[in-house]
Amino acid sequence: MNYQRLLNFAIAKPKVIYSLILLVTCLSLAMLPQISIDTDPENMLSQDAPARIFHNQIKTDFLMRDMIVVGLVSKSSVFTPETLTVIEHLTNDILLLDGVIAQDLMSLSVVDNIRQLTNEQGVNQGIVFEYLMKQAPTSSQASSEIQQAVKRLPMLNNTLVSGDDKAVAIYVPIVAKDQSYIIAEKIRALASNIAAIKQENLAFHITGLPVAEDQFGYEMFVQMGVAAPLAGLAIFILLWYFFRNIVLIIAPMVVAMATVLIIMGSLIGLGFTVHIMSSMIAIFLMPIAVVDSVHILSEFADRFKAGDDAKKTIKKVMGHLYKPMLFTSITSAVGFYSLMLTPIPPVKVFGAFIGTGILLAFVLTITYIPAYITRMKPETLAKLQRAIQLMEEKGRLATVLAALGAFSVQRSKLILIAFIALFAISLAGINRIEINDNPVNWFKADHEIRLADKVLNEHFAGTYDAWLVFSNTQQQQQSALDSFQQALVSANDGATKSVISQAFEQWRTNTGADKPSFFNTELLIQLDDLRFSASNLEQPWLEQLYTISEQAVNAQQIFTDPNMLKWLVKLQTAMVNKGDVGKVNSLSDIVRTVNRELNSGDDTDFVIPNTSNGVAQTLLQFQSSHRPQDLWHFVSPDYQRTLLWLQMTSGDNQHMANIVTWLEDYIATNPPPINVKHQWAGKSYLNVVWQDAMVSGMIDSLMSSFVMVFLMMVILFRSIKYGLLAMLPLTFTITMIYGLVGWFGKAYDMPIAVLSALTLGLSIDFAIHFIQRIRELEIEQRSLGRALMAMFQEPSRAIARNAIVIAIGFTPLLLSPLMPYITVGFFLASIMILSALVTLVLLPALLTLLDRSRNTSHDINLKP
Amino acid sequence: MITNLLNNWIKPTKNRVKMAMSLTLLLANSLSVYAQEPATLANESDKKKQVENIIKQANLASYYAGDDGSAEARMIIVDENGKRQMRQFTILRKDQQDLGDQNILVFFSQPSNVKDTVFRVEKKLANDDNRWLFLPALDLIKRISAGDKRTSFVGSHFYYEDVSGRNPQEDNFTLVSEDKAAYVINAKPKDAQSVEFSHYTVKIDKNNFLPIETTYFDHNNQATRKMAVLQVQEINGIPTVMKSRITNLGNNSYTEMQFRHVKYNVGLPDSLFSERSMRTPPKAWLD
Repeated sequence: MNYQRLLNFAIAKPKVIYSLILLVTCLSLAMLPQISIDTDPENMLSQDAPARIFHNQIKTDFLMRDMIVVGLVSKSSVFTPETLTVIEHLTNDILLLDGVIAQDLMSLSVVDNIRQLTNEQGVNQGIVFEYLMKQAPTSSQASSEIQQAVKRLPMLNNTLVSGDDKAVAIYVPIVAKDQSYIIAEKIRALASNIAAIKQENLAFHITGLPVAEDQFGYEMFVQMGVAAPLAGLAIFILLWYFFRNIVLIIAPMVVAMATVLIIMGSLIGLGFTVHIMSSMIAIFLMPIAVVDSVHILSEFADRFKAGDDAKKTIKKVMGHLYKPMLFTSITSAVGFYSLMLTPIPPVKVFGAFIGTGILLAFVLTITYIPAYITRMKPETLAKLQRAIQLMEEKGRLATVLAALGAFSVQRSKLILIAFIALFAISLAGINRIEINDNPVNWFKADHEIRLADKVLNEHFAGTYDAWLVFSNTQQQQQSALDSFQQALVSANDGATKSVISQAFEQWRTNTGADKPSFFNTELLIQLDDLRFSASNLEQPWLEQLYTISEQAVNAQQIFTDPNMLKWLVKLQTAMVNKGDVGKVNSLSDIVRTVNRELNSGDDTDFVIPNTSNGVAQTLLQFQSSHRPQDLWHFVSPDYQRTLLWLQMTSGDNQHMANIVTWLEDYIATNPPPINVKHQWAGKSYLNVVWQDAMVSGMIDSLMSSFVMVFLMMVILFRSIKYGLLAMLPLTFTITMIYGLVGWFGKAYDMPIAVLSALTLGLSIDFAIHFIQRIRELEIEQRSLGRALMAMFQEPSRAIARNAIVIAIGFTPLLLSPLMPYITVGFFLASIMILSALVTLVLLPALLTLLDRSRNTSHDINLKP
Repeated sequence: MITNLLNNWIKPTKNRVKMAMSLTLLLANSLSVYAQEPATLANESDKKKQVENIIKQANLASYYAGDDGSAEARMIIVDENGKRQMRQFTILRKDQQDLGDQNILVFFSQPSNVKDTVFRVEKKLANDDNRWLFLPALDLIKRISAGDKRTSFVGSHFYYEDVSGRNPQEDNFTLVSEDKAAYVINAKPKDAQSVEFSHYTVKIDKNNFLPIETTYFDHNNQATRKMAVLQVQEINGIPTVMKSRITNLGNNSYTEMQFRHVKYNVGLPDSLFSERSMRTPPKAWLD
């Protein structure tokens, strides 16, 4: 496209440009109220990611709920009538809240106890099934009885009451995780109404990943409303400091605001949810959008003399800046667009919209800014020009930059050696990088969620969940199928036979990968139903078919197999001994506990019964409780799958990843007695999956955008040498930033990972402007030395000014209570300053060295 | 209690008596309508008597059908995901006295891994029931004591109390409404702490006094659990519930119970209801 014509149009018809921008901005503004916030880390994985599908399947199949963990911590034991009364009271209140799944709530006052019934002489009289604490006790004697009972129930001990008896928990299952913040708030209100909590000196806490995530969403929403305008304000003040002209700096502010509003409006309007990543779009675009304007304003102020025709000047300026601005915009956009190569949907959206935002800002800048400037009054323009001249000549920035230029030219070898050394140190730092993330750490250390997390995990076996699921892999029983078919073939023809044959054929011709076993409860129910309508002649073979099927169904129930359960017991013990896992709850605990009470009640009977039928009968007893449904959290009704609930004291992905690796080794050396498949689910595990995807995805995105940008540089400069040179500052910057991350021991988490692409996109800007100008100057001045001297005047000031604008623009992020914002703010500011410095130091030094080797006759003296 | 379903095989000998009582009740009803204005106090106590009568009739119809009875039961438990499980068992019951104590034996036959598991109950109106359990695989007879009767019956939506019967003495009843077909009675527990519901309403069929629908409400007055009779059949001329369902209204999971081979007055001997029968199932009475 011919930019000259567009520019002429913009200058000739500014009002058309104005109204167009206003119209689009207003349209986008109208979209904003439709905003929907998404804070679910699960969405880091796409809807069809296998790990996510499996996780949700397990949640449905085993009726696993999202849980809010409410904790009460006492300075002494919680087993006092007063504290237990508080628990009962609070539990009853919580049970009545909307959105709470009452039947699955776990608290001392709603769970069951199973114990021995003894007479006064201590002689066994039978067993008792009862509520553990239907009503809070009134005596300390009765309180300590509850304490003793909990110690004997492995499913509750260290889950509902801490091992040190100082903390007690209520697990509140909720219907939807996006309600957890509002339910948590209601529970907080309920707790504050219970005066006894204060009187008894109980510390009240709420934790659990759903709460952390939902609360994060709430605070993120607040942050978006605060941080983006603050960034705007910071930039405004900074621009005023540089240009001292309110009328002038309104122009870049308009560009920034319009860019942010149009991009956010279209993001929301297109139906995307605002995730933690996309919530940062506004803050990212704000400073990036003003960068090109700053270049134009700087150069315009530089060239414009009182009495000049502003139109002519702006045309000259734009003719000069159009190409580097186009290229910096495209390269920055490519950097962000490369994020679309990651397999993480929110990161893709983030990359796509910022990339587009950068291009939009470019288009707005090259049309709106010239139109705006040419409409300014001559007096305003003159004032601007005076202010700039004043600042540029006497400014500290000018002095510092001139000295920096001299230093980099004169000490070029030293600089090169220093950079190589720094590069090596940074590489060593990168090797030390620990890949880790933990959504709870998204809050600052003094946030109530972090405090609750810390306190509750100190006392309990852990509030972070991972689920390990074992499934039967050998379902199809050929011999049973053969006998079934045989019995069916010899049966007399009739309606009954054809119904069964049809079902059998249908199953036989099913070639799906996950073909279920033919023998299942549905078949048994069907056969049983048929026995009612069947004739006397059909009864014998129907009976036979039923028996064959029933035996086959029984044989598939591998998780009633004592050897299998004993293997699980060993695995659980090994897992807890290994560390990272606080506690494992499983079917084997239920079976052993009920078996103990059915027998002597002594620890010697805390074992798995010797037969499958023994296990099944024990479980039938467990189901004769107030909460029979609890069993189905640990085993599927067909007993072909079992779930181990791991409680972990930390939400660190690293710990979860350790356990995953450990399990592979364990199973390899201790194979299960029956072949089973093992799979992970649970929030802690999902976090590991998307983290892995992100790390590899980021490397892909970085490498591909690196290549893309390099190719663009070669095309832009029509030189491989300058293309390579342009890549150097960003290579150093990225290496040094990640080296720093490694050396400081900062975990490589989501925000840190995303930074690589940003660094690439942003720090290339400086190199482009630098090389473009130095080449022009070199031709103009016919000497690299003189060119560099000129370079360290206005052109370097524009680079420095831009670095400062972006860096300062990101600083409001540092005030956020949310860690990802702080991290991004801090690192982006560092990246901007660092890459500007690297550009201004490394490039002149290298250019000088390269020039010397080619032409030693140059006399370089940068001192004015 | 009226939601009792296992025990509703009505004595044929009582049938005529029951019919007569129903007629009396109907008469009493119409009479009380006419008598309303002159004596309000008398009316109040009349009403109370009327409700007591209905409950008594319902209790008889549901629990004390016949001197004894046997039936095969099939329970299909459907969880909130729609996954089904099946249990089958045979029940033998013998009354000591109408509206009095009873002996019950429950023999499990399916699934086969719990086959021959047996429950024995001595239902006592005056005090707690005696309950025993036999687990063949563990070769174990255990006496069971339960804190309350509202625990699940082998993992189904039926509570032990739904199976053995809730004592009418535990609730206060009021007649809410009646139409041509049924009475609707509200029941409030005398001891609110002893149960998980705040009250329940029961619809009693005027023809046979069988409770045909019972809904339980929580403390927010939300309906949480519902028993519905799905099929009634006359066995030896006695209206008998053949199929019923209890639904957890919170997640729509439910258990359906079906009866087959229902027999009344088979002449079960008292000696059958002993520990011996638990270890050695009395085949003659089970087929």
